[in-house]
Order: sequence, then C-alpha cells, then structure tokens
Amino acid sequence: MTITTVPEPVLAPSTTPRRRGGGRRGQGWAAFFFLIPWGAGIVLLTVGPMLYSLYLSFTSYDLLSAPEWVGLANYELMLADPRFWKSVRVTLVYVVVFVPLLQVVSMLVALLLNSRLRFLTGYRALFYLPSLMGASVAVAALWRQVFGAEGLVNAVLGVFGVEGVGSWVGDPNRALGTIIGLNLWAFGSTMIIYLAGLRQVPRELLEAAEVDGASRLRRFFSVTLPLMTPLAFFNVLMGTINAFQSFTGAYVVSGGTGGPVDSTLFYTLYLYERGFTQLQMGYASAMAWILLVVLAVVTGLFFRSSRYWVHYGDES
Amino acid sequence: MNRFSRRTTVLGVGVLTGVLLTTSGCLNGGGGAAQVSDGQGEVGGNIQIAWWGGESRNAKTNAVVEMFTEANPGVTTETQSADYAQYFNRLNVQAASQSLPCVVQMQDRQVNDYTKRQTLMPLDEMVASGAIDTSQIPPAVLDGGRGSDGKLYFIPYGIAWDALVVNTTLAEETDAGAPPEEWDWPTFVEYLRTAQKGLPEGKYAAPAGGQLQNTFYAWAVAHGIEVFNAEGKLGFTEAQLKEFWTMWLELQEEGVSLPPDMAAEEPPGADQGYLATGTTMVGALPGNALYVASQTLEGTDSGGELVSRRYPDGPAGIGNILVASGFGIAANCDNVPTSAAFIDFFTNDLEAGVGFAADNGAPTNTAVLEALTGSDSELPELKRAELEQYEAIVADNPPKVNYPPGFNAVFQQSFQRNYNEAAFGRQSVDDAVATFFAETNASLG
Repeated sequence: MTITTVPEPVLAPSTTPRRRGGGRRGQGWAAFFFLIPWGAGIVLLTVGPMLYSLYLSFTSYDLLSAPEWVGLANYELMLADPRFWKSVRVTLVYVVVFVPLLQVVSMLVALLLNSRLRFLTGYRALFYLPSLMGASVAVAALWRQVFGAEGLVNAVLGVFGVEGVGSWVGDPNRALGTIIGLNLWAFGSTMIIYLAGLRQVPRELLEAAEVDGASRLRRFFSVTLPLMTPLAFFNVLMGTINAFQSFTGAYVVSGGTGGPVDSTLFYTLYLYERGFTQLQMGYASAMAWILLVVLAVVTGLFFRSSRYWVHYGDES
Repeated sequence: MNRFSRRTTVLGVGVLTGVLLTTSGCLNGGGGAAQVSDGQGEVGGNIQIAWWGGESRNAKTNAVVEMFTEANPGVTTETQSADYAQYFNRLNVQAASQSLPCVVQMQDRQVNDYTKRQTLMPLDEMVASGAIDTSQIPPAVLDGGRGSDGKLYFIPYGIAWDALVVNTTLAEETDAGAPPEEWDWPTFVEYLRTAQKGLPEGKYAAPAGGQLQNTFYAWAVAHGIEVFNAEGKLGFTEAQLKEFWTMWLELQEEGVSLPPDMAAEEPPGADQGYLATGTTMVGALPGNALYVASQTLEGTDSGGELVSRRYPDGPAGIGNILVASGFGIAANCDNVPTSAAFIDFFTNDLEAGVGFAADNGAPTNTAVLEALTGSDSELPELKRAELEQYEAIVADNPPKVNYPPGFNAVFQQSFQRNYNEAAFGRQSVDDAVATFFAETNASLG
C-alpha cells in the first residue's frame, strides 16, 4: 500500500482588509447561526420531550393535573403488572417470528425478481405495491374482513373442503399470526434492498464458482449470501427496531384493545392504552424508557455480533 | 476555541432548561379551582365545538351549528368530531395542553374523569342567570349532567337507554315466537333457549351478553345491586358477578349465545353488528339504534323485522338505566357567553331539536320530544317507536348509576377482557372475577 502526500494548497495573501472581531470567530458564530434550525429542532422536538418523558416516568401524571413525583413506583408497578409481561411476551414472539420470516420472504422474492423473466419491471412494481400501503389502517381493516369467520380465507378453505375453521382474528391462538401475516405482506422495502444487493454481486465470482462445479444452491450460500450480509445486517437491524415498535396493525385489527384476551397486546399498544386511555402517562413514559433501553441494548448486540457474520467485500 | 465551546455549552444547557421548563409548564394541567361564570355577556366571536358521532350525527349537528350562526351573525364556529372512543382520547390530549374546545360534548359515564381534574366549568350560575334555560328539562333528567360533587357540568340534550332488540322474523320461525312486552331474567333466558332449538345453523339466539357491561348493569339494578358505591368503588360482590358471568357461560356452552371468537370480531356500531346482519336473533343495543339496525337488516338477503323490548325486570323492578349526553363548557374557554348561548340554542330551539331528530337519544327538552312524537311529526315510524319506549321507561322511574372517576379508563375493557378469559377457557370464572376486581378497584374513585 502506498501513501501519497498531498501538498498543502498555497493560499494567496488576501487583499481584503480583515475586520476586527471577524475571521474564525465570526465564522464560528455564522456556523452556529446556521445550525440553529437543526439545533432548535433536536432540542425542542427530540431531546426536550425525551428528557421530559424521563422525568414523567418518575411521576404520577394523569395528563389533566400536575405530575406528582413518585420515584421508582412506576417501574416497580410495571414489574408486578401481569399485562405488562403479557405485552412483553407478545412483542418478543412477534419479533422472533416476524423478523426472520421477513428476511426469508424478501430474499426469496428478490431472487425471483433478479432472474430474466418477461415483464420483470411490472412484477417488481407489483410486488412493491403492498409496501406503499404497508400495514396502513385501510389494509388492517381489510385484514379483519379477510380473516374473519366468514372471510375470504375461510371461503377459500371451504372450496377445498376445510370447514368450521372459525375466526382467525377472533381466536387468541391465531390472532397474532394474522398480524404477522399483515405486516409481512408489506415486504417490498426489504425486498428492494436485497434486490439491489443481488444486482451488485460480481458475475465473475459466480462464474468462477460454476466453473469449479458448485451447484446453484452452493453458489448462493457460498458466494451470494456472504456478499449480501451487510445488507442483511441493515435489514435485520431495522426490521427488529420496527418490530419492537409495531402498533398500527394490532391497533386496528383488535379495535385498540390488544384482544382477543390480550393475544395481540403489543408493547406499544399497551403503552398507548396506559397513556391515553387509562391516563397514566407516568407509567406509559416509564414503559417508553424501558423500550428505549432494550432497543439500545439489542442494537449494541447486533453491532457487536456483526464482526462474526457480516462480510464486507473490501476486507482482506 | 475552548471559550467558544464553553459558551456554546452554557447556551445549549440554558436553551434545554428553558425548553424543559416551558414544556413542563405547558403539560401541567389545571390544578387550581375551576372558573365560575354566569355566562352573561356579548354573544360573538369564535367558539370551538366538539362532539362524537358518525356521519349522520355530524351532518345533523353541523346543520344545528349553522342555524345558530345564522341566528347570531357575529359568531363564527370551528367544529371537531370523532367516533366515540377516539373522541375521549383526543379530549384527554387537549385537556392536558389546556386547549379543550369551548363547547365539549360529555356523557354521564365520563364526566367525573374531567370534573375531578377541574377541566370543566360548573354551569349552575349560568342556569341561575338565565344564560342557559333548563326549564323544559325535567329535574331528574337534568341531574344526569351533574358531577359527583353535585354541580352541573353539562346540559343533557339526549337520553340513551339500552334495549333488547329482537329479530321477530327469525323468532317467529321458532317455538319461541314474538317476544313478550315485558319479561324477567328467567323468562328471558328460557326464551333464548327455546328459540335456539329452532334456529338454522350459524344463527345464534343471543349475543355474548357476559361481556357487555350494559347488560350487567341491567341485571344488577333489576336485582337491587348497587353498581358503584359511595366511595366510587365497585358496589357489587365477586359472587354476584360470578353468578352473572356463569349464566352467560352456560348459554355459550349450550350454543345459545355467540361463541367468543365471533364476538371478538363483531364490527362496532349498531348498523354493522351481528343483529343488523341477521346472525343473532337478539341484540343488546342503545334504544335509539333500532332504526339504523333495521335499515341494515332490510338490506340483507334474509331481511327481517326488528322490535325493541326493555331489559328484563328483576326483584327490584326495572332493569333499564338511562345515559345522558349533552354539552358542557371547558374551564379554559375564553368565550363563555357565546358557548352558553350555543348550549341554550342546541337544547331549547324547537326547529333545531326537530332537525336533529333525536339522533343521540330522546330529547330531554319536553317541547322538542312532544314535537317529535306528535301526530304531525315527520319522524320515521321506528324512530317514533324508540321515543315511545323511552317514555315508557322513564315512567317507571329507572335508577341512576353514578359513574366514578376512572370508570371510562378501565371498567369497560377489563369487564370484557376478563369475561373472555373465562369464555375462551383460559381462566376459571373465579380467577377472571378476581382479576377484574383487582384491576378495576385499583383505578376507580
């Protein structure tokens, strides 16, 4: 490796007389001035409310009267609250099932769309379309109809002679599965990232492996997949963070209750219920801070683990 | 450079502290004594008006608002509406930032959540000064707008009541036949069992009544059981709730009432529920929803006719309770005279009342009620039947339930969820009852 030294540019002496008090300090203030909009935004809209919510987490605050300092009471209540633990369990099951499923489905569709099919652009647009609607309120409302006792899914099953299946969204053993299906449907964004990555895989590497007698499956696992790990890292990390904060689908499908019998009581849904329905904003703030800490730890663990499974092409 | 960094740091900390102090100031609620006003003064300027309801009520309320502004040329209005559940969530956020609309719709089930925090203005002085006329409202009905401190916080303009609505077309295909005019609980349960035997597959005689809080109130008051005690806690015992839930769990077991998975996915709203679509033969609906449910049922393949019956009577008498809805004034309101004038107009103007067509229950104003039930009324027949049922219930002097603060936040969800824990077989009925008591009593009062 050679190191090239770049000579410092020679500056011509300025012909403009400098003002007293100008120069570096003046530029510093100018920079500060231009940073004010960003700074104000981050202080007013992010850091300020965050710190205030941290304060609220140590208070009893019903939104309608002044907060009252209660120390760690909200955190202690949380540990003893069975519904808090139910929401943790539902969210963890969702994260553990949904995130890997999303990666597998997205990768499979990306592989399919990376082939030489006719009307490929049309297919790509078609597969990406659900992501534009995502797990929106309209789609979630539709989901309720599709997975109802007399919905489309049971009608299709009836054609194949499967009768008496009952409601999917109304059965606590299946309701979470329908939410996973609902959110999985919007796989387009993850798929597009994988598709972009697949198109960057050097052809010569795949051809060399083929010449060496590697099967299609072997080429995928030994050449394509390792080269895709930086993208997988990004997708898994973002997918996990989003999954921990999942809200809309469960809110609409369960009518805001997390039902039936708390089977879709996502963490954020319970946080919302505590804050805005039960008017316990102190408790809700404490829940929000626990979620923040958990997400920080999970993100840290992902970065720590990445050295073992993420391979960058330029690594020696 | 170090000096600059220090300055920047100091400045940053200062700004942040300012933000926190400002934010905390903004978010702190009232806390002090609620304002009192006699509502007298110039009627003009702008007021915000908020209510809950669907499309039909929005259209009718907007029409009344328009009539008010036409009658008061100096007044402008801004209106907000949302469905029932979202309405109160939004109200809570607005109350937190002291930006409640001047005129807010209230119900006796929620009012104490707001009076406890002094976010509503007492209206007694406005009534005394004549700014709001309540002379056409029977005193017992007006009391529906009082908080637990005895002060008047909203003027009820509509009274809703829950009724048992029966699909007589289905019922007459069974041995049960048309429902009697009045019944008690054993007769009612037997009626359902008889009907179920003659119903086609996929139809149910009854809804999942164990999860319906209004059905429980009806059962409780008919049995002389106090729903909430003077301390604002649950007034009934665990054994009493167990008896009620067991009755419905047995009906579910026998296939007479809706299975819990179907009940869990029942669409909200009387016009979309299972009674309106012909899946259940009996439904527990607000009495003023008979008309809209009938309209939906008429449009289904099976069709059918609906009739409304009062809840079963019990040893203590009538089981029906009344729910009052009306408008109040927010404590942060800066245009009290105009707000008072609007409430007075909405409650008392005959043309406005007739145009509103009892959309949120029977009109509390006796003159409006008479105009709607009179022989020259243009109200549809079923709508008139609703109002006649209201008059019959009122004549029996139904008991009043005093809903404590915290009711809206916890009771309903906890009641439904814990019943379903037993209905899905996830908990014994004893455990479900115990959990409900622990959850609810912790939040009430």
